[in-house]
Amino acid sequence: MASVIQIILNGLVLGGVFLIVAIGLNIIYGLNRVMNLAHGSLYALGAYFGYTLVTGKVLLFGLDFEFGGLNFFLALILAPALVGLVGWVLERVLIEPMRDRPMIYTLILTYGLMFLIDGLIKANWGDTPHYIIPPEFLQKPVYIGDFSYPAYRFALLVGVAVVMGLLMTLLNRTRMGINMRAAADIPEMVSALGVNLKAVRVGAFVLGCVMAGIAGFLVGPLYPILPIMGHDMLISSFVVIVIGGLGSLRGVIVAALLVGFVQALAEAVITNFAMVIVYMLMAVILVFKPYGILGEGKFE
Amino acid sequence: MSNRTNQAPGSLLRRWSGAHPLSLGGFVLVVAGMVVLPLVVTNPFYQNLWTRILIFGLLAMSLDVLLGFTGLLSFMHNSYLGLAAYAAGLFTINVNPESLWLAMLVGVVFTMIIAWPVGWLQVRTGGLAFALLTMAFGMMYYTVAWKWHDVTGGDDGLVAAIEHGLPKVAEEGMVPYLDINLGPWNLGNTSDPVHVYYLVLFIVVVAFILTHRMVNSPLGAVLEAIRENEERASFVGINVRRFKLIGWLVACGLAGLAGTLWMFLERNIAPDTMHAFEGAEVLMMVLLGGMGSLWGPFLGAGIFILLKDCLSSATEHWEIYVGLVVIFLVLFLPKGVAGLSSMLRRKPSENK
Amino acid sequence: MKKYLVLALTVVLALSLAMPMAALAKKPVKIGVLVPLTGIVAQGGQEMVMGIKMAAAVKKTILGRPIQLVVEDTRVKPAVAVSKAKKLVYKDGVVALIGVFSSGVGLALAKNMDQLKVPFLSTHVMTTKFYGLNPLVFRCGQLANDQTAVGNVQGILATPDLKKRKYYVLVHDYSWGHDAAQRFIKLAKANGITVVNPDFDRAPIKTTDWSTYLTKIKASGADGIYIALITNVIPHFAKQATDFGLMKTCRLVSGAAPGPLELEEGGSATYGIFGASDYAWDLQRFNPKAKKWNAAFWKMFKTIPSDAAAHSYVGAMNLFNAIEKAGSTDAKKVAAALRGISFDGPYGVVRISAKDNCMRNAAVLTETMAAPANPYGAKVYMKVIKIFPAKVLGPPE
Repeated sequence: MASVIQIILNGLVLGGVFLIVAIGLNIIYGLNRVMNLAHGSLYALGAYFGYTLVTGKVLLFGLDFEFGGLNFFLALILAPALVGLVGWVLERVLIEPMRDRPMIYTLILTYGLMFLIDGLIKANWGDTPHYIIPPEFLQKPVYIGDFSYPAYRFALLVGVAVVMGLLMTLLNRTRMGINMRAAADIPEMVSALGVNLKAVRVGAFVLGCVMAGIAGFLVGPLYPILPIMGHDMLISSFVVIVIGGLGSLRGVIVAALLVGFVQALAEAVITNFAMVIVYMLMAVILVFKPYGILGEGKFE
Repeated sequence: MSNRTNQAPGSLLRRWSGAHPLSLGGFVLVVAGMVVLPLVVTNPFYQNLWTRILIFGLLAMSLDVLLGFTGLLSFMHNSYLGLAAYAAGLFTINVNPESLWLAMLVGVVFTMIIAWPVGWLQVRTGGLAFALLTMAFGMMYYTVAWKWHDVTGGDDGLVAAIEHGLPKVAEEGMVPYLDINLGPWNLGNTSDPVHVYYLVLFIVVVAFILTHRMVNSPLGAVLEAIRENEERASFVGINVRRFKLIGWLVACGLAGLAGTLWMFLERNIAPDTMHAFEGAEVLMMVLLGGMGSLWGPFLGAGIFILLKDCLSSATEHWEIYVGLVVIFLVLFLPKGVAGLSSMLRRKPSENK
Repeated sequence: MKKYLVLALTVVLALSLAMPMAALAKKPVKIGVLVPLTGIVAQGGQEMVMGIKMAAAVKKTILGRPIQLVVEDTRVKPAVAVSKAKKLVYKDGVVALIGVFSSGVGLALAKNMDQLKVPFLSTHVMTTKFYGLNPLVFRCGQLANDQTAVGNVQGILATPDLKKRKYYVLVHDYSWGHDAAQRFIKLAKANGITVVNPDFDRAPIKTTDWSTYLTKIKASGADGIYIALITNVIPHFAKQATDFGLMKTCRLVSGAAPGPLELEEGGSATYGIFGASDYAWDLQRFNPKAKKWNAAFWKMFKTIPSDAAAHSYVGAMNLFNAIEKAGSTDAKKVAAALRGISFDGPYGVVRISAKDNCMRNAAVLTETMAAPANPYGAKVYMKVIKIFPAKVLGPPE
């Protein structure tokens, strides 16, 4: 019984991380029609910014300095904001000029960007893995009777819930969010209504990058922070949004949890073939629902 | 479309090749240069490099047939290269360690057998779903190659499978070198990089000419019509799905051909060649070279492979520079390198 | 560590390429170094390069000529490694290849040596398939799987707390991992050590979240875990096991030495990893040569001396000495000189067997724990708890 609960929790943690990364990717796709292959690298960047802020050891290609280090929770807000800033610069410099080109060109552009960011991370921070040290009270396992589970993983689940709550509030209750959702559906109408479509698209791109940054920071205490940490996360989140439906927010939520659970369950039951099951699931779902569980099949 | 099929008869040569005399001359010149190349530069490293570029050029060209002419995107076209390489390699070590042509045939046919039902399924969906399904199947091939350890050697590639004692005929512990026989004549052996180079060059040139012929034939015109407007094509009575499937099979067959050549060059294949990121690189070769030109992808393959090879030898931080070059090319050469030349002169296809 | 401007590096590289090598008075002896510098084991690759660079700095010249190392990034991909090897041999004209992480890459390379015709000395390939594989292929570095298994089983038998435990076997899913698991399970059975899952679990190399594996281990009732994970990953696994409270009930025995920098990052969560390996800097308590080597390594790189660096150093030394002994850079002569050569380095005499081209050396059984005050600033270290003589580890000749 204890292990069943653990597997459910493991699935939730996996799914939660996938969710935050994938929803960012999907927001960017939904409004910009850009499949951002550098998304995994932005996720890594979030983790590295977090590590830098928490330890206070700033590396800047040789212009290094140190400060006291920030509180974990303060860094949790600042690091994704910095990733958002990077995202804003990228949008202005690279994505904007590509707006009228077919999607495959931005696909290749962001693939080049992935190389660039990964290379810069490696050049600046090196290959040694790092961890973000969480606050003391999150470092020990939580015991409930003879059942135990790492406290930080509970905290991560809470974090995912809070982030999703904030995101939903942003999208449903604020002017910007409502414009975004409308622009994703009928951009012509929205721009006819006098909404600055450009600003909405920039906003969506930055928001997507911030989500990647949050996810990167949240996994910092769990998984080793490495220059290539984003590669597999990119593929996993790609699988998630494909299953969920490109551009569909509800679809991503369903798919992220589904993939998380299937992976956790498959690893526990048929350990050696776990990943085969995940990809099999993707193919089977696509055969029956070509645009994903809740996708609408928009494509440019 | 009808314009193209009812083209006024030109010179015999032009009708056969479907090409402008000027570009035909260019083609002959390039091929002649490539035939002479290994005689001038005798270092096996470069011969190896050019062979690799030709093989990846062929793979990229096969994707161009799909993307540039049929308007369908395959995210992981490299997986069909992988399938054929595994098939040809396994056939050589398990069944027949002598015949190169047979191994090639087996590799291509196996790829087509896999690609057929998958393609049948894929063409029943739309453009985006088609692309996503290629990704899903690509990932599946990748995981199968990686997990079916007893047959494929898993993560370590085919050499590990041979080490596990699977094959019956492999003696030297690797996919053997093969004689290049043509009827009763022995033209060489794949142990010599120059012979492999000429073999690959020959196959690639033949494949290029045939593909070029195909895209300039009525079939090619139909494919292009589908690319331009699927609905209209179906209104004039074209069975869109059937022709999409044909385009897909041609593309997969050519990718398979590249895969068998890979096996003769490398004598080993590992799942990482079938990874999604490698698929993105093939797409990059097509786009950097110039989509829809057939020869552009070869240029793209050359640029990208040389770039990666040279930069990764020059600096540990090669990723930065590769990234910068790719970004620069995409931003400033919207039609790829092939687009540069069409700026200088009109494309033969527009030269009615 | 790499506190330099990347731009500056490019300029320097461009300049160094522009300057003709012929300007040097004597033609250098070129050695090709194949290591992973990108990908999951990049840190291990960096440490290998350090060890080999240090050997070149100590040796200075071979046959009166300067040593030039040409480093190439394999990206841990067999096809890339082979093409880089061809570049090194045909274009750069290296006289020998050294390095290589991962058994898959090693096997793919080894199969090409008949064509490349240079000696290839691997420092990190642990698969038992390397024994007597090819006259030009050598191993001198990390212990092979059979040697590690012997060391670990002996260590388990000699430690009462470890002996009575039931072991769960978890390995990385590639030939090294499989080989390591099979070797350990076979030997454990023969010695009456209980293994809970004889058909062992295989985790993908990319695994970052070990939670489900840990849950499985917990549920299996095992109180010992035998892992064969690549060096950089061992501390991550240990850290997550600690997070799950597993390290309280279980002991962790590892088929490879954990990387020191990863141990530092994992901190106290990585205490309690047992394992046989060639080297741990703690060996300086027993061997003055180790002390000297550690000090020299620290002086040169200002980082904690690692197992990977030490055995790459020894491997490179054996290779350099063999070329010297052969009196020429001819592949066959160097290979003949390598057979039977030995070097007395930081962990004693390391000899390359004339019978199967693979090394024999003494090894240590270590446990990770809080480090005493040390000049390297390490907070976690691998404490040497037992030293195995070379004879014990075998294999017999």
